[in-house]
Amino acid sequence: MNKKNPMSRALVRRETIAGYAFMVPSLIFFLGFVIYPMVQCVITSFFDSTMNRDDIFIGLANYTELFQDPIFLGALKNTVIIVIVSVPVTCIFSLWVSSVIYDLKGPLCSAFRCIFYLPVVTGSVAVTVVWKWMFNNYYGIFNYVGTSTGILKQNINWLGDERFALGCIILILITTSVGQPIVLYVSALNNVDQSLVEAAEVDGATKMQCFWKIKWPQIMPTTLYILVITTINSFQCFALIQLLTSGGPNHSTDTIMYYIYYNAFKLYRYGYGNAMGVILAIIIAVLSAVQFKMAKTD
Amino acid sequence: MKYRKILAMALSCVMAFSLAACGSGNGGNDKKEDTQTEDNKADDTKADDGEDANAGDDAEEEDGGASSSGSTDITLWTYPIGNWGDSATVDGLIASFNEAHPEINVTVEYLDYTNGDDQINTAIEGGKAPDLVMEGPERLVANWGAKGLMVDLSDLWTDEAKSTIYESVENACKNSEGVYYEYPLCMTAHTMAINKDVFEKADALQYLDAEKGTWTTEGFQKAVEAVVASGQAQAGAVFCGGQGGDQGTRALINNLYGGTFTNPEHTEYTANSDENVKALELLKGMEGINFDASIQGGDEVNLFCNGTLAMAFCWNVSQEKNNAENLAFDVLPMAFPTESGDPQLCGGIWGFGIFDNGDAARIDAAKTFIDFMANDETQVVESVKASSYWPVKDLGNIYEGDDLMTEYSKFIPFMGDYYQVVGGWAEARTAWWNMLQQIGTGAEVKTAVEEFVNTANAAAAAAAN
Repeated sequence: MNKKNPMSRALVRRETIAGYAFMVPSLIFFLGFVIYPMVQCVITSFFDSTMNRDDIFIGLANYTELFQDPIFLGALKNTVIIVIVSVPVTCIFSLWVSSVIYDLKGPLCSAFRCIFYLPVVTGSVAVTVVWKWMFNNYYGIFNYVGTSTGILKQNINWLGDERFALGCIILILITTSVGQPIVLYVSALNNVDQSLVEAAEVDGATKMQCFWKIKWPQIMPTTLYILVITTINSFQCFALIQLLTSGGPNHSTDTIMYYIYYNAFKLYRYGYGNAMGVILAIIIAVLSAVQFKMAKTD
Repeated sequence: MKYRKILAMALSCVMAFSLAACGSGNGGNDKKEDTQTEDNKADDTKADDGEDANAGDDAEEEDGGASSSGSTDITLWTYPIGNWGDSATVDGLIASFNEAHPEINVTVEYLDYTNGDDQINTAIEGGKAPDLVMEGPERLVANWGAKGLMVDLSDLWTDEAKSTIYESVENACKNSEGVYYEYPLCMTAHTMAINKDVFEKADALQYLDAEKGTWTTEGFQKAVEAVVASGQAQAGAVFCGGQGGDQGTRALINNLYGGTFTNPEHTEYTANSDENVKALELLKGMEGINFDASIQGGDEVNLFCNGTLAMAFCWNVSQEKNNAENLAFDVLPMAFPTESGDPQLCGGIWGFGIFDNGDAARIDAAKTFIDFMANDETQVVESVKASSYWPVKDLGNIYEGDDLMTEYSKFIPFMGDYYQVVGGWAEARTAWWNMLQQIGTGAEVKTAVEEFVNTANAAAAAAAN
């Protein structure tokens, strides 16, 4: 044994070096395209930075301005509403759909997975254009059906009325977000240990008890992952806003991501935009940590 | 085992070489940029010494932007200005250019108004701005020019050019200090349009002068009432879903009672005048006109073309040409209604600007391109025709026999002040449609307009500092 140890240590060392060598290219890209921009973002947030002019150090002035900017605060509020509504709805809906379809026969289950995954693989521009038609104030299908059936007395300007615009955005976001969780949940539910389920059923457990006591704990890691990615996606809601409402009407659909884009790319206020990015990253990190913690406790 | 080792080594070598290749590529770029910086410094020195710039540039061509074969590569990024957004047309124009200047290679990139600004700004930040860009003064002068990114084109603005190009156009192409950042090629007057069939059916044509293309504010009100009474619920829409086509809403509101958007010096926004407030209150209270925050100019044009709306406030000759196949009714282009009978239409002026990439050879080549496209006697007509608009100087009737262009040419004399060069323009544009949204959802007009002017003037002041 003693003779073998130095040999195996050398082998481990060689394999470790080889492993790191293979990682180097990815690591370079990760450092260059993720870590470096993040650090640059934090640094720039302390500067008055704009196009074709030397940056001016202003300390925390961008952050101070942020919390006095009513549009940013409104955007923060809208973003939080989007997250609070879309994350639970996405998770619950996808869990429900998955629990219904996961034990269907192969082709049928695949068909449902395809249907729900279709909006995910379809380009966001195409999805948005279709929704824009459906929400159209003058000839959209929602108004047509609503007025034809008498549900609506007159056409509603869905995207042009601040009472409805954010709701419409959330609805579209949910339809484009449920695909991946459904696929993940179907996979997770299929991996649940059937012997435990059968044993519980033999002991007289109801279907609900089987689900909550046997299946739910086993799919908890998947739930945690879905919660985290859905939260991050919801916080980063941008394309829908840019393509549908430009943050309007009356800033009712402004989100932090859209406001970052507006400040950085329209007004060239890079420092201010980066400060918002830092705040957004902190919020997402804290929420993700809380989600991890809660899931762990459970 | 040995085989695996060899394979691992081979893979590692491939990765190492690929990284080295990336590295050397960057190195090459760095070196080139350094050279360009030196060229730039040399240029500055020459300008200070008052030496003959052309002679110096010729010398620099040898080791600057020119390739070893003696040709110079330049890039042109163009917004969709008529057929300047169509590759077949632009290829033809460049072929003509290359017949005269085979030593200059032009690569074209086509932009759109949705993403074009972002593409250019990203290129600027990445140090890869195009040599030439084709757009209007609000971008070339008020935006990139004001940020010191553009080349001063004063040498293209010869005395002859100044004497032939219309004065209002010339004024729009330079900043307040007299530095020219644009050399113009074409222009148009943005109009509005009405569905002639609907107006005829509603007996509303009596309220306008179809031949001159003008109407009064009172006539406009009566016409809208008649159209609504005839069963067309939606006569027009003050679109405010974004900045697309916003010149239409500005022109409508400014014209109704003779208000202005900025002061004549283009240093301050004046949209809070009593005339504009009155116009907005009129529009807000008119049946058949709604403030629609779900559409922009392009959407409004579509709604007009499919008959949903009886009027379009975002219109010009290009819209009629582009939508000819979709139109199932007669379009009557109109100036915006006024009390005085003297409409002031928003103009569109398009031309070329050059980004200062620090390479004298490429800047010279870009100037040669501009000179050929905009000044060559035979070429300029084709260049202007490609835009579907009108020349910025008197070239005679270049659209002889073209009924549509002749019809729209009557609006050119109505072109008003080109105020889009005022500072803080990007922020002011956003504030404008936000203001319209507020008014559309019930905010008091006076308050909303004051808020807009405060925001816009703060942006103008910030831009001036």
